[in-house]
Amino acid sequence: MEIDRADGRTPNQLRPLSCSRNILHRAHGSASWSQGDTKVLAAVYGPKAGTKKNENPEKACIEVIWKPKTGQIGKPEREFEMILKRTLQSICILTVNPNTTTSIIVQVVHDDGALLPCAINAACAALVDAGIPMKHLAVAICCCVAETGYVILDPTKLEEQKMKAFAYLVFPNSILSVLPEVSSPAKGEPVEHGIITSITHGAMSVDDYFLCLERGRAASAKLSDFLRRSLQSQFSGNSSKAG
Amino acid sequence: MAAKPGTASTTYSPVDPTHKTKPSIFTDSDWVRPDSRGFHQCRPAFFRTGAVNSASGSAYAEFGNTKVIVSVFGPRESKKAMMYSDIGRLNCNISYTTFATPVRGQGSDNKEYSSMLHKALEGAIILESFPKTTVDVFALVLESGGSDLPVVISCASLALADAGIMMYDLVTSVSVSCLGKNLLIDPILEEESCQDGSLMIACMPSRYEVTQLTVTGELSAPNLSEAMQLCLDACAKLAQIMRSCLKEAASAAAEE
Amino acid sequence: MGLPNASEDLSSEMEVDAFRRLFPLRYFERHLTESIRPDARPLRKARDTTIALGAVASADGSALAKIGSTTMLAAIKMEVMTPSLESPDEGCIAIDFHMPPICSPIVRPGRPAEAAPVLSKQLSDTITSSGMINLKELSLVSGKAAWMAYLDIYCLDADGALFDAALLSAVAAFSHLKIPVVSLDYDGKIVIMSEEQKEENSETKPVNKEKRKLTLSTIPFSLTCILHKSYILADPTAEEESIMETLVTVVLDSSGQLVSLYKPGGSVLVYTSAVQDCVALTRQRVKELQNILDDAISGMEID
Repeated sequence: MEIDRADGRTPNQLRPLSCSRNILHRAHGSASWSQGDTKVLAAVYGPKAGTKKNENPEKACIEVIWKPKTGQIGKPEREFEMILKRTLQSICILTVNPNTTTSIIVQVVHDDGALLPCAINAACAALVDAGIPMKHLAVAICCCVAETGYVILDPTKLEEQKMKAFAYLVFPNSILSVLPEVSSPAKGEPVEHGIITSITHGAMSVDDYFLCLERGRAASAKLSDFLRRSLQSQFSGNSSKAG
Repeated sequence: MAAKPGTASTTYSPVDPTHKTKPSIFTDSDWVRPDSRGFHQCRPAFFRTGAVNSASGSAYAEFGNTKVIVSVFGPRESKKAMMYSDIGRLNCNISYTTFATPVRGQGSDNKEYSSMLHKALEGAIILESFPKTTVDVFALVLESGGSDLPVVISCASLALADAGIMMYDLVTSVSVSCLGKNLLIDPILEEESCQDGSLMIACMPSRYEVTQLTVTGELSAPNLSEAMQLCLDACAKLAQIMRSCLKEAASAAAEE
Repeated sequence: MGLPNASEDLSSEMEVDAFRRLFPLRYFERHLTESIRPDARPLRKARDTTIALGAVASADGSALAKIGSTTMLAAIKMEVMTPSLESPDEGCIAIDFHMPPICSPIVRPGRPAEAAPVLSKQLSDTITSSGMINLKELSLVSGKAAWMAYLDIYCLDADGALFDAALLSAVAAFSHLKIPVVSLDYDGKIVIMSEEQKEENSETKPVNKEKRKLTLSTIPFSLTCILHKSYILADPTAEEESIMETLVTVVLDSSGQLVSLYKPGGSVLVYTSAVQDCVALTRQRVKELQNILDDAISGMEID
């Protein structure tokens, strides 16, 4: 299981994380999230009145606009938009603001691997910043499977291209419940082990996928700690902009 | 590997260089049609209603290699921008698949055919029966084998009947190509490409009324009247086939 | 949302169709507790599936796949391109998924459906990462000419599980694909060889005598399931998809490798056990689909 990563990380080690909120003045909420050299900016506008066509007006509508670093938006970006939209829909409480639209604009600043997970984390922080009601936070992680079957986390662009397969996984943040013991849904597994979103590329064995899941869950605990800490510290830092 | 946008325009489909001499065949006096039909013989027609379950009504038609599907939606709410209207609206659209034609196309909408379909059907539909609303007739040509528009028109009227839209009569349509001295009914793609003139009639056979008549190219006056009669006779026969298709579908539904 | 008690009271005196429209979720849940679906299927059973090969004569390979009433028509047209410098002896595949206005009341002409580009991307990702097609087999003259296979998939009738049907029609079209015999002419262009030329052994030699069919090494098949509470429903219809929105699509290839596990959000979280269940269901489905495809191919060979 010995592998060398170009930047000298161990397989389970993530790149340095950083997150800052409230970086844009015009937006209702904004955040930037970076993992190593991959950096994404997210801005939230809304909730605005009315939903788009073909959307259920009894619920809040979420709209995601993906802005690539350069060039026009193509099929891959459309897919990212759809995945982000569906992921965010599942973590937001949509019944609080029915018949409204919340727009999330995702600007890619730099792509050095694990772009979609980075964007999901940024969007999630920005939603918190905008005060959109949410069930829980979400943390996203990218797991790569190499030819020989070992798994590395949070790959750079170069590593992503070399690997035979990778999976983007999104898990809920562990819930620090104020209510006494929310009933655990499935067979004793904690909530944070449930998959919100799973996207895979490349062929791998089913066992490899479960290995990814296991590693991803372990790493997501660290990520969610970081997310919670950075959100809390900034809330105490500038409590002027709540809601 | 996914398509790179730049590469799309640089590809070409290989052609057969030995296959360029065909127009000369048609000028001979005793040639036979490529599918060995008689000049005044239509291709075998096949119709089936209920091809698309998610539509209010639909039909599939196959004439030789010409294959089309027509779906009818509605009557449903008109577009917001539309003015109030006492009578219903008809909205038609014909598009081709990218692989419908021998050379790969763009699969775009055919505006000209769409408006011709609209005009051919408009006269037969009782628009007063669905005021303020719109009926959408969408056609997709899966494979183009000649006489596409007449097939779409006949198929569309069958789909409208399947959707239960009130009509005065079924609309059937047939075209005739003029090649030299000969009149060819229900031409295939090869024949259409080297025709001198053509005539297309859409009519309501039971009422003996024409809803649309189109003449293009060169047609002498005696040829024109002969071609019209040929088309009208063929339309009447086509209507029988379509009627029996509807009856079959109705009796099958009654059995269930 | 809203009125669970009201629906309880009304349901006893309401007509079934009205109840289905007004309280779709409750209507479905009533069925689920009886382990049956409104179309009389057991929860984990897929709809009847058929494949017809060679549906379009103007294409080099084509197939019509039907899962229940979801219908997909896939056709491949082969064109010639100059291969890129990085891979001089590889061809290319371009996959496009279309939702024409005939397929569903939601799609209107001039306004392409939102789902279409996403599904196109998903299909080409799946076909690429399954390694089903060896792009080297699409090479004609190294560095000079290679095949560009344009695969266009049209949805003729949209009634749920669009990805499954589209993938099935795509692999069926590839297994039906017959590459035309071509030769290189004096201008360095690729031309089709006519029947006479092949027989009389003229100076022009076909460049692809052997490579008439693609060897499909591992074929990917997929199954979409709906997760609702602890129920798993295989192969959903459009109505089911609109009511219960957590979808999981598993793609396995014929050798049992996981090609894709696709779950874009949804209100239900998936735990390990549910993933295992979905994979197991897909394993069964792969066998079924493989048989259906084999039958279709052997049926073609008899003709």
